[in-house]
Amino acid sequence: MASELTLSVNGAKQVVFAAPETPLLFVLRNELKLTGPRLGCGMAQCGSCSVLLDGEEIRSCVTPVSYAVGKKVITIEGLPEVWATEKHLSATDAANTLHPVQQAWIDEQVPQCGYCQSGMMIAAVQLLSKNANPTVAQIKDAFTNTPPSPHLCRCGTYSAIIDAVLRAAKAMKS
Amino acid sequence: MTTKTETSSNSPVTSTITRRGFVKVGGALFVSFAMPAGFSALSIAEYQTSLDPSQLASWLEIRSDDTIVVRTGRTETGTGMSAYYAQTIAEELNVRPETITLILGDTDKTPDGGYSAGFLSGATNLRKVGAYTYQALFNLAATHLGVPASNLSVADGIISGGGKNISYGQLVQGQHLELKIPIEGSRTKVDPSAFTGVVGLDGFTVTGEPPMKPVGKYKIVGTSHPLPGIPDKVTGKTKWSCDVTLPGMLHARMIRPATLGSTLISVGMLDRKQFPTAEIVKKNNLVAVVSPNEWEAISAARAVASTTKWTDWAGLPGSENLTKAFRDHKWDAPQTRGKAVEVNAALASAVKTISAAYEQPYVRHAPIGPFVAVADVRSDGSVTVWTHSSQSQGLRARIAHTLNTPVEKVVVRWLDHSGQYGRTTFGGDGAESDAVILSQLAGKPVRVQWTLQEDLAWSSASPGWVADIKAGFDSSGRIAAIHSASYSPSQQDPRFLGAILAGMPTTPPGGGSWIATEWPYDKIQNRFEQAFGMPNIAADSSNGGLRGNIMRTPGQRQQNLVLEGLMNEAAAAVHADPIQFRLDHTTDQRLIDILNATAKAAGWEPRPYPQKTARKSGSTPLNGRGVSIMIRENAYWVGIAEISAIPDTGVVRVTQFTIGVECGKIINPRQLGLCMKSGVVMGLSETLKEEVTFDKSKVTSTNWDRYKILTMEEMPEIKIVQLSRDDKGFGGGSEGANAVCMPAVVAALFDATGVQPRRIPLTPAYMTTLLKA
Repeated sequence: MASELTLSVNGAKQVVFAAPETPLLFVLRNELKLTGPRLGCGMAQCGSCSVLLDGEEIRSCVTPVSYAVGKKVITIEGLPEVWATEKHLSATDAANTLHPVQQAWIDEQVPQCGYCQSGMMIAAVQLLSKNANPTVAQIKDAFTNTPPSPHLCRCGTYSAIIDAVLRAAKAMKS
Repeated sequence: MTTKTETSSNSPVTSTITRRGFVKVGGALFVSFAMPAGFSALSIAEYQTSLDPSQLASWLEIRSDDTIVVRTGRTETGTGMSAYYAQTIAEELNVRPETITLILGDTDKTPDGGYSAGFLSGATNLRKVGAYTYQALFNLAATHLGVPASNLSVADGIISGGGKNISYGQLVQGQHLELKIPIEGSRTKVDPSAFTGVVGLDGFTVTGEPPMKPVGKYKIVGTSHPLPGIPDKVTGKTKWSCDVTLPGMLHARMIRPATLGSTLISVGMLDRKQFPTAEIVKKNNLVAVVSPNEWEAISAARAVASTTKWTDWAGLPGSENLTKAFRDHKWDAPQTRGKAVEVNAALASAVKTISAAYEQPYVRHAPIGPFVAVADVRSDGSVTVWTHSSQSQGLRARIAHTLNTPVEKVVVRWLDHSGQYGRTTFGGDGAESDAVILSQLAGKPVRVQWTLQEDLAWSSASPGWVADIKAGFDSSGRIAAIHSASYSPSQQDPRFLGAILAGMPTTPPGGGSWIATEWPYDKIQNRFEQAFGMPNIAADSSNGGLRGNIMRTPGQRQQNLVLEGLMNEAAAAVHADPIQFRLDHTTDQRLIDILNATAKAAGWEPRPYPQKTARKSGSTPLNGRGVSIMIRENAYWVGIAEISAIPDTGVVRVTQFTIGVECGKIINPRQLGLCMKSGVVMGLSETLKEEVTFDKSKVTSTNWDRYKILTMEEMPEIKIVQLSRDDKGFGGGSEGANAVCMPAVVAALFDATGVQPRRIPLTPAYMTTLLKA
């Protein structure tokens, strides 16, 4: 049965009316109109639906919305604010600044079709939060062997993703 | 005002500029096309639905604020078209590409149609559109400034001469000008006799020979202009086709037949208490659950599916028996090319012959985002479809055909989505037919989202194949003759699954096969190629069987493994270096240049092939290297693979891949480089991992654990080599990178082990069986 649930999404309190077992993905997309995370496999095998939950990457296609209650959800739409808060940017600067991972994705022209890239950027933010200076081997390992599955890109942008993560790591240190 | 712009002295066609009136605010020059001879007003009306039939969607608009809008029915499929088109037209107009806004793919807002795979024809169109417009603006400026055209020059959209200057925007200020340019061709139409079910895939093409800027003077083409859509994709602002919502829209999940040949016995029960707003919608074997709430649609569909009954069916050979099924099939007459008599004579008199049989199972496009579509079919007969198809006009024609409605009632709107890699190039496949049929039945807008399992089981796929190839050598160790024969089910069945299941009209499936190789070895004069085709496997089943469709570098990808596999085997047979052996069989300087440049980048030094240390057993890794080439669409490709393999486990890793291309004038080096690297990833994925498996009744590789694709960790270091030249036009640079992977890796394994693989994918199971044989 649907019930009223209070969520924290991209720094804002959101009240939604949904069945508690509804995967978070559908609540984000259909109720909150946050369409950055996208449906891929629907069974935690590809990573295109990834979001951060209390700073940890989760697959929103298999995570019940009830599990997110009381935790902080961040989608790619909320990444600029995460960075602005972390860096104590002024409101004016914050409005003109993307998260370094997003900026690196633009600078390296990573997306081809781009469908998987929201999840890829979430995985990059997660990696850089744990390892500020990853090697190429560590990037490959993180995007392949972090449970529950590899992050898959069918266009084959892996090489550009590696370049973008290295660029973002540099930008975040400066 | 009507002035004729002479486009070139030997051209029979001209463009015409007309002043349709003055406007108080703004002003613009609209570039549309003149109606071709024999083209009725009705056919234009069919093409441009929601607009005033007398006022076509303009190809290009120069606006008084110096912005430019370009419209094309072609789309961005992830290979960089949105950058290349802007660059191509900006170059002819002498403006910055940033001033151009592209409108792509919507059938009611774009003039030309055309499929998104056809970049070369699309680029030619836009170059000519730009060139005609440039000439018209130039002549307008000469009149306006009172300066002879010969004394004028243009930079960054400002025309200067005689001490005066004026921008394009100022030139059109306060006016409504219309430039009509000549075209030929037709919109995409359903034609059951065509092998893809539709004709006019290229849409309208611009004719005449307007003077175009010499390639040597290019300033914008050849630079790395960014893709305009990327910032919005990275920040979450892009509206994707899966994001479309409409008032009253229902979410649908499909309940597919239990097997590829099952028919419906009874639909399962829908528990109204548990799913109060869900409904079952069905037509023949097309079954769905719809609900205003997506999660309810998903949950209810699962529940209904579990009690839905289908007939049994078992008409597939099983994927493990595929090669035998092909070998046992009685094939129709092949498409042929070359000299059968001379080849047979040359093979009979050859000093030495070698032969080989290669094979590959079914593989598929397998996008990360499964098919999705939204349709709104109204009681007044109007149909609007939101899609990510690569052929909007083809899709539109097919939808009209399926619904038996006039094509002018159908509007297709294009939005970004997962790459399709060829499966929607003919305007078919996809969730669109499900969506229009369900919307018509439900009387409401419907969004159909396929699941991954559904997509991996029911979308069209790239068929498996077998091939035989034989070569004869002359006394100097060169190849004197080659005979090849490939055997494959049709790659031209883009029919809608929804229409098949609902028993509604679809075009017949295409049959036959084709010779896709562009012959790279001009010194091998005696060649005879055959391509045998057959209908889909289980074509006579009620659901159409395994629908074959084209996939990235179609036909040529497969046939290139056979030809280049043979070239490597032949080099080994005469103890030649595989690169030198290729150089010995061509005089084409473009091929020679890119082969040498790529070999140099890879550090290739001649040595025995296979290397002397090759062995077929052991638990320590062996290294090997291999090469392959391909010519496709005015582009010359070279791939050099370096691998590491452990014979006892059969595990193969590609450690380094060097890929080179010469595709005439390179439009955008960075995007080309990205496409080359990503193409290698896709090609290696196919080489090492991909196989559609099926039992006697259904596809079984229906998730990412069973249909495996390359992960980031499995990607090698990739080096790229690009040669650009000004004297050979544009070539196809985005697509072909995947096709040089398979033969290069196969050759590298032979180099490492001394054993010749002839089957893709090179899985540990296949390799251990091969090496232990």
